Amino acid sequence: MRGRILSAAVGVLTLVAAHPAAAQAPEPYRVGMTAAITGPFSAGYAPTYEAYRTYFKRVNEAGGINGHPVVITYEDDRGEPQRAAAAAKKLTDGALLLINASISPTYKPVMTEAEASKTPLLFGGGVCPREAFPPAAPLIFCTTSFGSKWDSRMALGFIKEQSGTKKVRVGFAAQDIPLSRIELEFAEQHARELGMDTIPVVVVPGAASDFTPFAQNLKDAGADWVFSWAPWGVEIGVFEALHRIGWKGNYILYGHQPAQDELTRLRAPNLHALTGNAMFIESLPIHAEITKLVQGQTNHPAHYMAEGWTSAMVLEAGLRKCGWPCTREKLAQALSSVSVDTRGLRGGPIEMTADNHYRRATYYKVYRWDAGKNAIVSVGGWSKLDIK
Amino acid sequence: MAQALATTLVVASLYALLGAGYVLVYRASRVLNLAQGDLLTLGGYFLFATAATFPGAPVLALPLAAALSALTGVLVYVALMRPMAGHPVFAAVLVTVTLGILLRAAIVLVFTDRTRHPLQNLGLSNPPRPLAGGAVVSTFDLVMVGAAVAFFAALFVFLKVSPLGIRMRAAGERALLASQRGINFHGVFALSWALSAFAGGLAGMIYSSNVRLEPSLGILGLRAFAVALVGGLDSLGGVVPAALLVAAVEVASVRWGNPLLSDVSPFLCLLVMLLVRPWGLFGTKEELERV
Repeated sequence: MRGRILSAAVGVLTLVAAHPAAAQAPEPYRVGMTAAITGPFSAGYAPTYEAYRTYFKRVNEAGGINGHPVVITYEDDRGEPQRAAAAAKKLTDGALLLINASISPTYKPVMTEAEASKTPLLFGGGVCPREAFPPAAPLIFCTTSFGSKWDSRMALGFIKEQSGTKKVRVGFAAQDIPLSRIELEFAEQHARELGMDTIPVVVVPGAASDFTPFAQNLKDAGADWVFSWAPWGVEIGVFEALHRIGWKGNYILYGHQPAQDELTRLRAPNLHALTGNAMFIESLPIHAEITKLVQGQTNHPAHYMAEGWTSAMVLEAGLRKCGWPCTREKLAQALSSVSVDTRGLRGGPIEMTADNHYRRATYYKVYRWDAGKNAIVSVGGWSKLDIK
Repeated sequence: MAQALATTLVVASLYALLGAGYVLVYRASRVLNLAQGDLLTLGGYFLFATAATFPGAPVLALPLAAALSALTGVLVYVALMRPMAGHPVFAAVLVTVTLGILLRAAIVLVFTDRTRHPLQNLGLSNPPRPLAGGAVVSTFDLVMVGAAVAFFAALFVFLKVSPLGIRMRAAGERALLASQRGINFHGVFALSWALSAFAGGLAGMIYSSNVRLEPSLGILGLRAFAVALVGGLDSLGGVVPAALLVAAVEVASVRWGNPLLSDVSPFLCLLVMLLVRPWGLFGTKEELERV
């Protein structure tokens, strides 16, 4: 009896040893992501997490990258710096790369952990830190469509172009967070350099119960145009308050994920959304592909995925270029020379260089509601800005 | 100036509705309901849900959402507050804090964290309405003011005239005596919670129709808490002048001072009031000692 059991056990062991899959399961590319998946800021960042999850599920089902699956470990930092630091510490243990898709207060602790462990850090969802712009820090990369200073340059260029020879008076609506205030103080100065009349930046607390008094300040100051670069609630809240009090000027804001829905809801021809991502109303093949893939995978609309999807495309390209075996150093080098065709999600490819971990050129489009066509339309095509 | 006055009136109406919720529960049971802001959010989401269920039928969706808000108040009392009877008031207050956290989590779970606009489904618009003096407000701004006036008027009549309202006042003012006279305490408390949740929910329904709806709206409740304390926690009549005062300071700080002060202005008002008259504009000293 004992002999038969022993023979059976030896047989099973032999079979297992002979099975190629069991013997040679490919090692995965290990990546970590710290993201505001829940918490008060999750609306802007959870879609990036969802896009990554869906994107690499498909990659792995198709055989992975260079024959190896991509395993991403996700940590929810809720947009809290302490949680993000703990998540980064945990994730850098064994990961080839760390992704941050969270609010800017989490940047510093995550960057410190990444630097200490020499792990490349990719920002994909939040505003790009200055370390990604030329001259770039060796391990910091960013794929987010919006970038400080460049967005303001583009918005003000658009206002100037739309105004023709008329001298316009421009107002600025910022939120009471450093990023937004600094950006719009820069914009105010840049507008003056462009020969525009300016109104001092109106700073709005994010939790304001009513945006009307802030809007009234802009209206009373005689703003022809107002530019807002802030989290979505303030951007659109100030516009709606201006609209309520009968302001007839033009408004331009950065078109975050809700922009497409909100242009449709408000149907206001004087509301312009400047964005680096093509809106899904353009119905490109990539839009249909994303829509199909995320169906049933997320509670967010498919067009919220564009930011995360582009970031995942860049990571995939970096890992392909890195080959196997891939190390952190090799991956950082690979990302430093990556060139990704975004298939229309952006106005052009994302090309990084050793010195520029943002992109060599960035592209913008402006959308608004066209009452005649009863649809969102783009005001002109893509505009290109070279990043130097 | 006319615009600033109009805006003050609108903001004060929001705070008054919310502040009334705090006072109603406090007067009846001496419990500070720190989930009042989240009951406002819930009211907004009730409207969003009923509007999605009955699109284009505001006559159905609005009363249904208001009724659900009031029902939530009753459920909160029956399920959470009634079992706390006999325990320290502090424990009951902590229960309301926990309730707020749970409500926020449940809202995200069910409705996600996306910003919503119930008006889209209601099929209503919110056009600007010019007023005298060149001020302009939205239609739902006017609805907010009208709702606050109607709520306070109805509450005044109810508490002064109706037998149930008189019982409610009696229970709030002389609890022991009222119980000896056979007043159904639990019924009165449940009604207080229902009215409080209704006021919060009503504010939430109008605010979300006018501005936006998102899970973090509960922060407005904190501002209104300052209003309730400035007015006097046991004084419904104090809520209205306190709301007007806090709203006026808030609007004035944006228009003529530092806009960033608007965020803290309710608490500045509260601080000044605590230093000058700790029991609030129309509160009683005795209540302060009880707290």
